Amino acid sequence: MRRMVHVLMLTCALAASIAAEDDNGSAAQSKVLALESAWNIAEEKSDVRALDLIFDNSMIYIDEDGTLLSKAQFLARIRNTRTQMQSLVTQTIAVRIYGGATAVVVGSYRARGMEHNKAYLREGRFMDTWVLREGAWICVVAQSTPLTR
Amino acid sequence: MKIAFYGLVLLTALAGNPQAVAPREAEQTRILALESAWNQAVMQKDSKAVAPLLDEELIYIDDDGVVMNKARYLANLRDPEPRLLHIVNESTQVRFFAGSAVVIGVYREQGVRNGKAYLLRDRFVDTWVDRHGSWICVASQSTLITH
Repeated sequence: MRRMVHVLMLTCALAASIAAEDDNGSAAQSKVLALESAWNIAEEKSDVRALDLIFDNSMIYIDEDGTLLSKAQFLARIRNTRTQMQSLVTQTIAVRIYGGATAVVVGSYRARGMEHNKAYLREGRFMDTWVLREGAWICVVAQSTPLTR
Repeated sequence: MKIAFYGLVLLTALAGNPQAVAPREAEQTRILALESAWNQAVMQKDSKAVAPLLDEELIYIDDDGVVMNKARYLANLRDPEPRLLHIVNESTQVRFFAGSAVVIGVYREQGVRNGKAYLLRDRFVDTWVDRHGSWICVASQSTLITH
């Protein structure tokens, strides 16, 4: 159910990356945004190997219905999903860096697709927490909340 | 047998490096106490007690997907509706990273809204950062458990 890619997001990440090479905070933001984009592309392609590298082994994922998934459960679901997602757009996204080693990404998404032969449209908010470990950013927690108001 | 083995391993770890284990436990206790204080203050709609726990740049995503900053969250808290009867966190776990901690758990709230009793359960994630020796919450998100 997670939001996926987007050209807009990738463009923002690249633009930020170019503009902030000498600024550690901005550089970290760019790296995290690029990883978010890579995540989306990997999820769109059901590329579990790529996702495996993005997530910490103890990563926790909380889905739109409040289900708590481990990394293994989340990857298994990506592998086995029967949901057909037709479009998934990240509408807003922002990154905040804390103490140089923790990043929180907040955004909104809109997903359209087919599930059990029925069309769906879902809108929601997400928040992902990343930590810097041995020079690499890795996602440790991710959560989605449907927009109901 | 397996339990005895793991117990032995744990005791060995504790005995071998008490300094490494004790601070982590102490920090976990501190953070869970802050979570508890937060809930108590919410119950009493005491925004002044909640305010010091939250970063000025707090990002709060409510279980209906609404995003709030600190000011809006505190204003929302002061709303007399709903009348809160009971709040408790369940199944909490704290994970520590460099300079930050993440609390994951289930928030259970009972109350009365527009004269009707309700009970909700949210899965939440709170992100705390260590700022000059004090833990402060910088981000919080809740998702209604509907499955």
